[in-house]
Amino acid sequence: MEQFIREKIKQVKKGDQAAYSEVVNVYQHKIYQHCYRMLGNKHEAEDMAQEAFIRAYVNIDSFDERKKFSTWLYRIATNVTIDRIRKRKPDYYLDAEVKGTDGLDMYSQLSTDDPLPNEEVESLELQRYIHSEISKLPPKYRSIIILRYLEEFSLQEISSILDIPLGTVKTRIHRGREALRKRLRHV
Amino acid sequence: MRAHNEIIKLMHKYLDGDLLKEEEVTLRNHLENCEECQSHFHELKRTLTLIQSAENIKAPSNFTENVMKNLPSENKGFKYKR
Repeated sequence: MEQFIREKIKQVKKGDQAAYSEVVNVYQHKIYQHCYRMLGNKHEAEDMAQEAFIRAYVNIDSFDERKKFSTWLYRIATNVTIDRIRKRKPDYYLDAEVKGTDGLDMYSQLSTDDPLPNEEVESLELQRYIHSEISKLPPKYRSIIILRYLEEFSLQEISSILDIPLGTVKTRIHRGREALRKRLRHV
Repeated sequence: MRAHNEIIKLMHKYLDGDLLKEEEVTLRNHLENCEECQSHFHELKRTLTLIQSAENIKAPSNFTENVMKNLPSENKGFKYKR
């Protein structure tokens, strides 16, 4: 796969636009899903995933071919989604971040005496609830939690994707896990 | 007995695969005697299991096509490069 992508990128750099469609094909689901997880809704996810691929194309000459293309693409997608989150109306996002209720709102709607059976962990409703709790994390923690636990990158890879020191990745993942623990302990 | 905060740091080192042998002993000994930390550790591990069950979703079927339609035009790029 790496070799295939390398070839395609060379062609794109030479001006062969059609070769880029194969690159998009390979990464579309991963990048769309990453944007969806960062943003929490499908409409914005589609816009921002498109934006990420377009920015990658426009800036393809600045991509260093000795590095992994996917790492570079994830960085662009993460930056695009974080920009988008910052541009949202302040109440949209601050509300979610500051007034964290530790998941009590949702929890209070569930019957507390009934523990959820194991199979329910797989249920779509619970998955969506978990997703919405991840979406409430501040973006700099959210991106790391998503890259580590949903997309299964190593901490070292995350440090390259986000272009931040490994120690910072560790501090943030630590805080992100604690924040999520508080939000999800009642589930 | 060590402060809970220090033990929580060890839990996170454990989760990142960074725990040293002697730290592992410290963590294990503490957990055996401290219910509060035990449940903290349990909640952390459970949280990770929960978030890993998040749904998988795919890009819409016309995604690639839409990206290609929105790229700056090829001709301009070609001329510019020559």
